[in-house]
Amino acid sequence: MSLTDFTKLAVKYCAKIGADEAEAFAQSQQTIEVVLERAEIQSERVKAQRGIGIRIIKDKKLGFAYASTLSKASIEEACRNAQSLANVSIPNPDWVSLPKQAKLPKPPSGIFDAETANMGGDEVLNLAMRTYDEAKAYDKRVEIDDGKFSMISMEVAISNSHGVEVEEKTTLLNGFLICMAKERGEASSMAFEYDITRSLKDFSPEKIGRVAAEKALASLKPRSVQSFVGKVILDSDPASEILMYPIISSVNADNAQRGRSLWAGKLGEEVASKWLTVTDDGLFPKGIGSSSFDSEGVLHQKTSVIERGKLQSFLHSSFTANKEGKESTGNANRDGYNMLPSIFVSNLVVEAGKKKLEEMISEVDKGIIVRRFSGNVRPESGEFSGIAKQASYIEKGEIKHPLKETMISGNAFQTIMNIIEIGSETRPTFLKAYVPQITIDKINIISK
Amino acid sequence: MIIDLLKERLKKSRGYGELRYHKRDTFTVSIKDGKIDVLNNGMIEGVCARTLIDGSWGFSSTTMLEKDRIDKILKNAFSLAEASKPKKKRVVKLASLKPNVDKYETPMKIDPRKSGKEELVRLVIDVDKDVRGFSKNIVSDTVTFNVVDDDLGFLSSDGAEILQRLVRCYGSVMVIAREKGNIASAYESIGEESGLEVLKKTPLGDVGKTAAERASKLVSAKIAPGGLSDVILENRIVGLLAHEAVGHCAEADLVYGGSFLANKIGKEVASRKVTLVDDGRFPGGFGTMKYDDEGVPTLRTVIIDKGVCRSFMHSRETAQHFGVSPTGNARAWTFEYDPIIRMRNTFIEAGDRSLEELAEGIKEGFILKGGLSGQADFNGEFMFGTQEAVKIENGEFTESLRGVTISGNAFEVLKNVDAIGEDFAMRTGMCGKEQVNFAGIGGPHLRTKVLMGGMK
Repeated sequence: MSLTDFTKLAVKYCAKIGADEAEAFAQSQQTIEVVLERAEIQSERVKAQRGIGIRIIKDKKLGFAYASTLSKASIEEACRNAQSLANVSIPNPDWVSLPKQAKLPKPPSGIFDAETANMGGDEVLNLAMRTYDEAKAYDKRVEIDDGKFSMISMEVAISNSHGVEVEEKTTLLNGFLICMAKERGEASSMAFEYDITRSLKDFSPEKIGRVAAEKALASLKPRSVQSFVGKVILDSDPASEILMYPIISSVNADNAQRGRSLWAGKLGEEVASKWLTVTDDGLFPKGIGSSSFDSEGVLHQKTSVIERGKLQSFLHSSFTANKEGKESTGNANRDGYNMLPSIFVSNLVVEAGKKKLEEMISEVDKGIIVRRFSGNVRPESGEFSGIAKQASYIEKGEIKHPLKETMISGNAFQTIMNIIEIGSETRPTFLKAYVPQITIDKINIISK
Repeated sequence: MIIDLLKERLKKSRGYGELRYHKRDTFTVSIKDGKIDVLNNGMIEGVCARTLIDGSWGFSSTTMLEKDRIDKILKNAFSLAEASKPKKKRVVKLASLKPNVDKYETPMKIDPRKSGKEELVRLVIDVDKDVRGFSKNIVSDTVTFNVVDDDLGFLSSDGAEILQRLVRCYGSVMVIAREKGNIASAYESIGEESGLEVLKKTPLGDVGKTAAERASKLVSAKIAPGGLSDVILENRIVGLLAHEAVGHCAEADLVYGGSFLANKIGKEVASRKVTLVDDGRFPGGFGTMKYDDEGVPTLRTVIIDKGVCRSFMHSRETAQHFGVSPTGNARAWTFEYDPIIRMRNTFIEAGDRSLEELAEGIKEGFILKGGLSGQADFNGEFMFGTQEAVKIENGEFTESLRGVTISGNAFEVLKNVDAIGEDFAMRTGMCGKEQVNFAGIGGPHLRTKVLMGGMK
């Protein structure tokens, strides 16, 4: 049986047991993972996973159940479980309907790669070893700490009682390496480098190894500076964590409707510096969050979120869109068949600027560059504070020296008003955001 | 019965082999702003195989439980072990272990399997109502309650056969307050390895009130200042320090990698007032289980005894390497993961000072409350967020400020501990170390110094 056969079976059975509306989301996934720890292969895993999640609506009451076994008996049991939860639930007056059927366009390019899907354990292991060898060969002071490489080949099928019936395959390769450099008994801070792609041919293990080693070496012999308020160049990854995380939370229509977003009611208003333009693009070619449809089977699209600092749109699932009488922006997201859809970005793409990193550094009179951030970001309020890892001190346009433990703190919503430069090279980060390097100003830089 | 099928298939395994069966029933009810956000009942079930061939591990898992699928994961695990062997420097040997045949079930007064779900839904609805009604500036909340009910089977080719049923009930309240363009959030949680009686012992409504009170108060508060400061760490966040910053350094795999505690056995690493323990059988602890996922009985491991480092936490593999007995710390999140060294319930033992006595010793400082997530490097450098910082001036608690991230070296923080409180608190943690897991974290109030990353 195909995945769609299972989802159709579930939807049909739900109607039989009296559901007003029903949706089945099925997933089949093959994962190969190689974990490096303390410079050694810690574990390799081949995982075969399948499962189905059933959403039932009865008198505007919602019930949800899931099962990791795909058989007629287990699916029918999950449907009955969802139904009995719907019975004890309370009605949601805002409930309108599950999404309606729509015609699928051509899928975004480059989201499935057969060569990647066919990789075996030894090939994923090979990626890990190539990364490892490159980092070791780069400089003998480099020591590998840990890393993880994984290949995911996934198939998703969604059916609902309004005729939605979609199915799609994707692949994803993901790898990271953490290393440090040691010299005369002194260790650098941990350096982190990664790559995420849809296909094997775009994945570059050697680059991960080389860049990780470079970063580790660059943080040897750190020194302290006096605390000051100044400019910070954030590398893509910390820029994503510190600035995009609060943005993602604030443009979530559910948060806005519940008063959890400081941007509620601010459509068209200036929320960021004019340098900032952000788009949510579920059809982004080769995008790590791209697919034809979202987790409810609504077609993916391109949505302008922030245009030259002005708030253009919130991101919706069918539920939040229905509540406002709008169309869903296709941002329903599930981390697995065992989750209900919630709103998240598909690919959040920050428009690149014109300047290379060297130019950005050359324009900073007094500041720091942060390549990794270990701290807390409160997405609702925008407050962030934490340790700038892999950070260096910049004076008169030049990197002077790596920094000893230094903390940075501020408020992301004020900070995005103070963006003074955006770099030219965007890269995917773990929040499914494509982010360039970003220079921000008026940040508290605190030394011990 | 699945266990019988597994026993039969395992007979064909070459080398040392393990099969683990895992069925997890999850119930979640989550209310956001008076409306049901999640009402879930889920089941995952699967089996994994781990084999050791000439010192090399292989691992494979499946959610399909037919005979040929079980044979396939055994074969997969075997071929992974063989293929990776030439690339591994380390030759794995296991500490010897008597194969245990045993059964364990979480002691329960109210078994969630025998209870209706309606009552739980109603309880969460009521807590949500109270939280939102607490103050006018509360604009949004999420109240969640979960039951995770695990059936675990462990079989080894040495003859071990251990069946465990572990039940964990836990809940949390997240509150958001908003006033004059400011927004503040607060979070509190409860939970134990136990039946639903945990709701009587630690009512969800009580922590809901704590969170509501905090968010409501902090929305108009200033942010605590930055810099090195005298502090009291609230008992509910001391567990974070014990776990994140100290505990990980005592995990034998990280010790082997050169963590702060490497070569420190018998040496003083903290103030003499500090005793730090990882206990696999702490009654009701979130990380409590009778055997770990290698079939080793979970023991009480004293890591730091009156300031002196005494022991590490081990799997069978690291125990053999260090020449000690395994401590029962090898745990796996689900059947989709191989067991790695994890803490169970990690805590600092209580002292004898009242909170007032602790504050008396501080001329100018803070009591830090409400833990947020944290991280640590294995050199003892840590950071974690706090929700609230209450000013202490000449021993008196004065103004409430918004909490900030604190950081430092945990062992310096522990060396600076000059007094320990009498109120012990144990709470739930979700620890992420490549795979997540349930962990109990606990401790009393501590008086020490930390670096606060606040506003100047």
